[in-house]
Amino acid sequence: MNFPPAAPGASAGNPDPGDFAALLQARGLYPPPAVATSGPASASAIPTQTQATTILAFKFADGVLVAGDRRATAGNIVVYDRADKVLEIDRHSVMAIAGVPATAWEMARVLEHSFQYFRRTQLQEMSTGGKVRALSKLLRDNFGFVMQGVGVVVPLFATYDTAGPEPGSKLYFYDVMGANFEVAEYAATGSGSPAVRGVLYYENTWGRKPLSEYTLEEALNLTLRALDTASEADTATGGVDRHGRIFPMVKIIAAEGIRTITDDMLRGLFNGGRHPSAQPLSAGVPIG
Amino acid sequence: MIEEPFRFVEAIANRREYIENQIATGSPIVALNYAGGILVFTLGRERQKVFEIYDRIAMGAIGHPGDIERLRMTAIELASTEGFTRSASDVSLRRMANYSISPALKAAFEQIYGAPYLARVLFVELGPDGSQNTFLRVDYDGSIQSNGTPFSKSRQEYAVLGGTRASAEQMEKFLARDYKNGLDLDAALRLALDTWTAGFLVFEGDKNPEELPDEGTLNRTRREQLEAATVEAAVLESKVATPATFRGLTDGELRPLLEGNA
Repeated sequence: MNFPPAAPGASAGNPDPGDFAALLQARGLYPPPAVATSGPASASAIPTQTQATTILAFKFADGVLVAGDRRATAGNIVVYDRADKVLEIDRHSVMAIAGVPATAWEMARVLEHSFQYFRRTQLQEMSTGGKVRALSKLLRDNFGFVMQGVGVVVPLFATYDTAGPEPGSKLYFYDVMGANFEVAEYAATGSGSPAVRGVLYYENTWGRKPLSEYTLEEALNLTLRALDTASEADTATGGVDRHGRIFPMVKIIAAEGIRTITDDMLRGLFNGGRHPSAQPLSAGVPIG
Repeated sequence: MIEEPFRFVEAIANRREYIENQIATGSPIVALNYAGGILVFTLGRERQKVFEIYDRIAMGAIGHPGDIERLRMTAIELASTEGFTRSASDVSLRRMANYSISPALKAAFEQIYGAPYLARVLFVELGPDGSQNTFLRVDYDGSIQSNGTPFSKSRQEYAVLGGTRASAEQMEKFLARDYKNGLDLDAALRLALDTWTAGFLVFEGDKNPEELPDEGTLNRTRREQLEAATVEAAVLESKVATPATFRGLTDGELRPLLEGNA
């Protein structure tokens, strides 16, 4: 039991009454930003660490789809095969993470509490712009650690804006310093992202129709195939693990909220596809 | 002055009288269990009086807006930092009230050269499985009344907050007579409005009524007050998918209540 006694003017220590991160820092509950004392610990540290996953997101007919594989690695070791990298922040927002889990999950936790704290104290929902910026600030505060070669996080942020001047699905990606970029169609991050970007670009540009017109089933199919493609060459991406029956985490964000796609649905779609190893062994490999 | 016991008692008594006068005209607040969770209800004129504190905790208050605001912020900060550093299930209304809010109110009340809190607060907390809900009232002097300890067998299913003791007693009497288990939202809203009206009638008319108001008086007053003020109602819903259970009721949900009294 460690509540500090309530004092008159309880917010006196908090410079901004709506800012939960500032409150945590004022109370000493969140580590202060690390200060970079020299350059990067080693030139290869940053790129290696940002590359141990595959996260993708794109807009389709029903909203935004955000998906991530489930593999967590340390160097060339697979440490966990059920990591959840697609995290719900509030009723309409999802943050998908590529990077160091400790930092990323903590950021997601701060973010989740920040949005709630803002709504509760200020009696209004934080705007989409405010939410996007809040994540920017967390990344910016983390940059000292990044410069020391630890704690790199490169997230995607997807939300449904109900109150802004242009309501609808919004999708953003970030760089390690916290710059945010709104994307119109799709985004991918992590080590498997070059392959995924290739798939998404190809389908969007040369496919039968643009991604924005995909139905849910088509979007899920593409997602599974893109992650499978990424995992083909990238050992840090779990892809679709048919043997362990581990499927990617896929969430859909729309006006009515967030929907998590069940493993059963993903299994059905994936096995219905033409991937050779999706067929039972006895059935042989279809040709053509 | 503090060294002299009689002066201290006198000063405290004066202070109590002053605060009671200040908050006597506050619009009552009614909270009760219904089939879907907890309903918190009041009629207001100018400012919000029912607030979300945390995932499963809400608050209603009467008194000075500045003091209510300080208590509200304190409660939100306590709950949020606890929920962040540990987990949402470690946030407990009982601990928050007993160890933080009550001592702060008592200290402010008894430091007779400083300003006391001019506020009376009702907290409600949705139990872990939607039952065993907690209703907890903290007064300006730090005293706590709740609907039962964790060990008690039967808990009261409602609580009220009144500007005066007589008003609160009248509302409790009303609920003791009319409250039933498992009310749906519309029935709970109607009961809450009637209870509110009974409490309102106490400082409007008879200051120390013996009887509960008759149907005619209740209907007339209710109609008058609905015209003059707006309904403010919020629920903590036990069956929602999200951790946060607080929701302000929409115009659509309140319409049956208002049209029934048009």
